[in-house]
Amino acid sequence: MKPPMHVAKDSEVALIGYPRIPEQDQQAAFLKKLDDLRVSMRSLMVMLENCTKCGNCAKQCHSYLGTEDYNNFPAARAELMRRIYKRYFTWTGRTFGRFFGAEDFDADTISKWLTYFYQCNECRRCAKFCPFGIDTAEVTIAARHILSEIGIMPKFMQGIAVNMNKTGNNMGIPKPAIIDCAEFMEDEMREETGLAIKIPIDKPNSEVLYIPSSADFFTNIDTMIGAAKLFHYLGVNWTIPSTVLEAANFGLLFNVNVMREQNQRLKAAATALGAKLVIQGECGHGWRAAKMYTDGCSGPVSFELVHILDYCDKHLDKLPLKKLPLRATLHDPCNYARAGEIIEQPRRIMRACVEEFVEMTPNRDENYCCGGGSGILMDEMMEIRMKLGKKKAEQVKALGRIDYLAMPCSICKAQIPAVMKHYGVLDLPMGGVMDLVGKAMLLGDTK
Amino acid sequence: MLYFVGQVFPYIAAGVFLAGMAWRVWTWLRVPTPFPLTLSPASRTLTERAITFGKELALFRGLWAGDRGLWLAAWLMHVSLAMVIGGHIVGIATLGNEFTAIGLTSEHSQALSGVMATVSGLILLVALLVLLYRRTAIPEVKRLSDPADYFDLLLILSVVVSGMHMRLTSIEVDIAAIRTYMAGIMSFQPIPIPNEGIFISHFFLVNLLLIYFPFSKLVHLAGSIVNRAMLIAPPPVYPSATNMRSNSIQSNVQMWRGGNQQ
Repeated sequence: MKPPMHVAKDSEVALIGYPRIPEQDQQAAFLKKLDDLRVSMRSLMVMLENCTKCGNCAKQCHSYLGTEDYNNFPAARAELMRRIYKRYFTWTGRTFGRFFGAEDFDADTISKWLTYFYQCNECRRCAKFCPFGIDTAEVTIAARHILSEIGIMPKFMQGIAVNMNKTGNNMGIPKPAIIDCAEFMEDEMREETGLAIKIPIDKPNSEVLYIPSSADFFTNIDTMIGAAKLFHYLGVNWTIPSTVLEAANFGLLFNVNVMREQNQRLKAAATALGAKLVIQGECGHGWRAAKMYTDGCSGPVSFELVHILDYCDKHLDKLPLKKLPLRATLHDPCNYARAGEIIEQPRRIMRACVEEFVEMTPNRDENYCCGGGSGILMDEMMEIRMKLGKKKAEQVKALGRIDYLAMPCSICKAQIPAVMKHYGVLDLPMGGVMDLVGKAMLLGDTK
Repeated sequence: MLYFVGQVFPYIAAGVFLAGMAWRVWTWLRVPTPFPLTLSPASRTLTERAITFGKELALFRGLWAGDRGLWLAAWLMHVSLAMVIGGHIVGIATLGNEFTAIGLTSEHSQALSGVMATVSGLILLVALLVLLYRRTAIPEVKRLSDPADYFDLLLILSVVVSGMHMRLTSIEVDIAAIRTYMAGIMSFQPIPIPNEGIFISHFFLVNLLLIYFPFSKLVHLAGSIVNRAMLIAPPPVYPSATNMRSNSIQSNVQMWRGGNQQ
């Protein structure tokens, strides 16, 4: 079985500190890593030992519904790990083998894992419908971690880790270019409003640290502009750290150690600045990594941690917003709606920014993933990515005419436009929620 | 042989069941949870958490939301099983006179007790057969199933069939004798098992099920609670004065590079 993505080469994985284990030692190393995880994550052990195989998750998984590949059915995907786990770590599996569904590690195990654990978007929708709450995202996080620990990972993930180490952001933007981008956006805002709205980088004595997604400096600048206008209007003393110009934390998506390092980087930046408040920009999994993992990775911390949508929502009444003449809808990023407590905030913001807000079905914590979740943005996986996005396209099409699709997450912003084009939804403007705030806010000349 | 089945085996079964379940739960609880797994939207208060917990565990909300047919079969199976187990306890203890407590006469109580037992047993039987059929009829579920998944259902079915056999056929089973026997077991002064083949089979199968239970997926009886508890944990709050998770468990986390230090 050939995995559908480019796999990082030996020299490349060594570059980020995860050298490839030679083939003859892989099984032992692999099982050792699985053993380490099962005694470190209660979730993994409980979720591997309690599935009753009722099959309720099959109809709830956009990955299975889109690809129709048996191994993408959540219980079957988890079974890829569960069978090996039973064989080596339960006495019933060791003794009775196949009767209890135990299976040996074999020559195909690694490529099967690489293939199917990278077709799970870690969206947690299965956990919503499982009668016990078995969360395949936990199993996927563990599986990807084990693979990367023995030096096996997609080239895409390795490339991002290299960029992160070199520049502090996934896009690999060096500091001079960051400052250029910030100045460019400041010019744009000056042209539009006549005001000198700043995007301060590494400004000492700032009270608030803003952590945007690096894509907001690159492809999604309207999101950054929206946030800058918000801070300007509220008179916030804020800055962006060039050392962590990245809300995303791809470590969560392929290696828990890498996740922890980046999380500590965030804490270091906030501590160095003495920030009381850290605000995370529009990024789904990054928000989960910050909110849910900071305590376990870097705790205790002395700053408050909020999301830009939460922050904006709290100050919504003060903002000079004029409703834009749009019929707009919201795609709930999985990590907000199922793992990050951001559900009603973007709705309240959007209702204040557009004339007509419509819901897609299902929505909120039952929304379908865009199909790019957990960093499945590899160009070479485009065909699979389109299948993963099939449900999302159907949801949007069912709404009829809409003028704006809000998707407040950088991965969604990279995935959904391609999905819409593929399924024939053309000329639909898309972007973040902060983009709308920026456009609806009456500042300076736009009053 | 009857001595073993009637006066020794029940203690082995009960011991294995209790120790096995405790051991399984202990193997889970001793493992740390380095990160909260809160499934949004999180319950804010203790009452809200209790409601979420109850909805999932008692009403099978997830199945209801996903597949009403499966929900019906699974929910009826579990509820009728609970009825049957409860019925065994009070029915045998009072010889069917449990409803005299709410003012019924002894005959009426025994009749009502009998009707409830028969109805619950039949629902349980049918629900189990539906679950078995489902396992073979739905392609994904069939492919996912291991021999153990069928064995679980067949073992429970064998218990139910032998029980219903006593209830629905003309075999006269002396419940009073069974009560005396069970009382002997409970008070650790076992007496010989009533020599009725169908009762002995039923009782033996129950003991087998008890032994099998903790080592099979039937352990989800406890697992569902441990798993759900992780999902309804409150999300962390920042700033955090101390590492909320460091005290008891962080030190055991084996997955970090370069040891466990922060």
